[in-house]
Amino acid sequence: MNIVIAGCGEVGSHLAKLLASEDQDIILVDDDSERLARLDANYNLMTVLGKPTSFASLKEAGAGSSDLFIAVTPYESNNILACSIAKKLGAQRTVARIDTYEFLDPRNERYVKSMGVDSVIYPEYVAAEEIITALNRNWIRNWFELHNGRIILAGVKIRAGAPIEGMKLRDFASANRNFHVAAIKRNHETIIPRGDDAITPGDIVYFTTTHDHIDDLIVIAGKSAFKIRKVFIMGGSKMAVRLVNLAGDRFKFTIIEENIDVCRQLPAKCPDCEIIHGDGRDSELLQDIGIGDADAFVALTGSSEANILTCLTAKELGVRKTVANVESIQLISQAENLNIGTVVNKKLLASSSIFQLLLDADSSTSKCLALADAEVAELVVKPGSKLTKAPVKDLKLPRDLTLAGLIRGDEGRLITGMTQLLAGDHVLVFCLGGAIHKVEKLFN
Amino acid sequence: MILRIIGWLLGIEAAFLVLPVITCLIYGESDWQAFAVADAATAFAAFAITRWCRPKSHHMGKREGFMLTASVWVVFTIFGLIPFLLCKNPLSISDAFFEAMSGFTTTGASVLPSVEGMSHGVHLWRAMMQWIGGMGIILFTLAVIPMLNHSGGMQMFNAEVTGITHDKIQPRISNTAKTLWSTYFGLTAILILLLWLGPMSFFESVCHAFGAISTGGYTTHDVGLGQWSGSVYVKVVLIVFMFLGGVNFALIYKAVRGDFKALRRNDVFMVYVMVIAVMLVVFVVSIWARGQVRSWQDLSINPLFQIVSTITSTGFTVTNFENWGPLVLALTFVLMFFGACAGSTSGGAKIDRILYLFKNARNELYRCIYPNAILSVKVNDKVVNPDLVSKVIAFLCIYLILIVASGTVISAAGVPIVDAFFSSFSCMSNTGLGAGVTGYGGSYDLLPDFAKWVLSFMMLVGRLEIFTVLVLFLPSFWRR
Repeated sequence: MNIVIAGCGEVGSHLAKLLASEDQDIILVDDDSERLARLDANYNLMTVLGKPTSFASLKEAGAGSSDLFIAVTPYESNNILACSIAKKLGAQRTVARIDTYEFLDPRNERYVKSMGVDSVIYPEYVAAEEIITALNRNWIRNWFELHNGRIILAGVKIRAGAPIEGMKLRDFASANRNFHVAAIKRNHETIIPRGDDAITPGDIVYFTTTHDHIDDLIVIAGKSAFKIRKVFIMGGSKMAVRLVNLAGDRFKFTIIEENIDVCRQLPAKCPDCEIIHGDGRDSELLQDIGIGDADAFVALTGSSEANILTCLTAKELGVRKTVANVESIQLISQAENLNIGTVVNKKLLASSSIFQLLLDADSSTSKCLALADAEVAELVVKPGSKLTKAPVKDLKLPRDLTLAGLIRGDEGRLITGMTQLLAGDHVLVFCLGGAIHKVEKLFN
Repeated sequence: MILRIIGWLLGIEAAFLVLPVITCLIYGESDWQAFAVADAATAFAAFAITRWCRPKSHHMGKREGFMLTASVWVVFTIFGLIPFLLCKNPLSISDAFFEAMSGFTTTGASVLPSVEGMSHGVHLWRAMMQWIGGMGIILFTLAVIPMLNHSGGMQMFNAEVTGITHDKIQPRISNTAKTLWSTYFGLTAILILLLWLGPMSFFESVCHAFGAISTGGYTTHDVGLGQWSGSVYVKVVLIVFMFLGGVNFALIYKAVRGDFKALRRNDVFMVYVMVIAVMLVVFVVSIWARGQVRSWQDLSINPLFQIVSTITSTGFTVTNFENWGPLVLALTFVLMFFGACAGSTSGGAKIDRILYLFKNARNELYRCIYPNAILSVKVNDKVVNPDLVSKVIAFLCIYLILIVASGTVISAAGVPIVDAFFSSFSCMSNTGLGAGVTGYGGSYDLLPDFAKWVLSFMMLVGRLEIFTVLVLFLPSFWRR
């Protein structure tokens, strides 16, 4: 697939590296020659120096014959303009990154389409959704559901003393028919476990299950759920504003922001919140404003380090659930090991949206979730695909992916070795980084 | 990991070695045994390495890229010299190494006292070595081995391809390599056909085509192209293709696709053409002034042939070249130093670099008068990063230092000083013009063994454009 990416900022370069390792033909357009040179010398992609909104440079990059054009510069107006130009030149499909809700609003959809933007990605919005899920399901790390929860993938951190600690997966599977362990994240690395692997304390285990058995999962994982009402947010960033507006009155928010100018604007953007001016890293300030009563602490400043450290402080001060925005991919697994409840990352969310487009260009039902070194995707089995030829255990699937569950008709089921897949099944696939193109081949 | 890739590469060399075996069998020559032994040894080594070396890590960084590229060239040479040791006029180890290295690096300097006695297999192998080495061993591998289609492959590509920076014509490295090789292959095929239509036999056209397009310069006759120096047709065809061999292949690809404007817009290409034109005028005047004009050809085709052959580092010569006078010889030095465009199969310092150097020198002079002026080096309408300019200048300095050093070392071995410097110059720039130009002897076989090893090293350094080889000698390269 020919993919042109305009803008090699954090999201753009992350996407480019990721897609290049998936064997796609990537051309990057940006006007920062040094950044381009570094990517050009180290990754399997091509770069074009020029403004992402110039006809000449988009032509040179071959945007006209591209299958997918992704505009991810920091400015949404540039992105929309770039998409519009690319579409005029003949790009098959265009995607723009936006940062205001209006472009996502269904009422404006037709106008956005008429400008030549086929889809939009809005990482802050997805992040806000993700945070709300994390606050609602406060005992999980990752939550991914298909078709209103008929199949659920939940990542749970197992602590010492949990009922299933130390259990071998073979025994686990025979004891718990309603759960399937798709993957385990252990020591910064995600593995697809075999029957001999055991669950050890500190693992993040990804279970698939159906809606009816969620409460049992809380029990076997040694967790307890609680109701969250009072939420502290550190940093009045775009993501924070989005979160507050999306959540409505489910939670009671307090925003702590250091910059007085930003503080002054916040009451207009977030009407029902309490706004505190001050440094969220200051633990005395946190105690003054009553952190002890808070149920959750969400750190959304631009600095990953500050977010991680403040979350740890909040945890010590008695907050049960913490969420941190971690921008640097390298720090994600460190943060996960440090007992930060949930980690959100804009780049991963943006790549989830793009993978979704790649995997199923014509259907909007597919969902995709990008983790730090793995992807989870929902795919539909096409008639005549290799998967329908034999039961799962005889398919000789690659070792870096696993089929975690399926939806047939309206019913969610787990997959065992005996399962025979049929065309039209929606299958939940968990695959390690760089394997998603293999998956695509299997299903078509 | 490095060993494993070397194993795959040897497999490819073994496949290439099959061709001379077949050739010898067709012509009924006894040398087929030599090639069969070499082939078997290479294939066995390839098999053994890929079978028994389990890579500890799949990581391929910059360090591994340099290491691998440099060692692949040496390993290829070592296996490529086996036929010379075993053929019916066997060479000594030093001679065989020199000959093979000279082939792979497309230098075309020969130590064979007489090439006419050699079998067809040896001729073909000499030509093929140049052909493989011309575009690049690594590049060929990138095109055929899909496993290298990742950033590790990128590092190797960077380490091998000639020029200051690399040109990608396709987003993925293996596709870039495929495109370059198919362009190269296409040009070779056309050249073979054209030569075959002329007075050459099929076998000779294959050998000369390989030698010309790769800008190597091995021939199948003692007198070089002498036998065909009467044929205007052969010379014109060769001039055109040597010229093409000196052009950036990415540019040729663009032109083939119909984008002729790209040629006009490319400063380096225009300078290349201009240098050739200016040199032609000077050569003609010089020849005429010395009264060496014997026919109209001496004022047109012959000097042009010599210029193109030298600037592209091919090293084919026309018969009475030595009599054209000292000015022509001096200009030959200049041409050898210049070389042709980056990203081509030619040697030398490359016109790109010379262009940077001159533009930068002009800026520096200008700055003497207006110290506050902000000036930039502009090539192909793009401003060049100052870091790149300083890298180019460092390259040229090291280039000259190495030539002086090697010339000095070789003269210490008892070679007359002019020949010592001329031959190191010639090897460093991969031209391979015979040392006979200055009257020391007909070919490189008179040099002492020691000098041959030094020159072999120079050829490798010149082909891989200095940095790839010299970083291996940096202590911090080996320190973790």
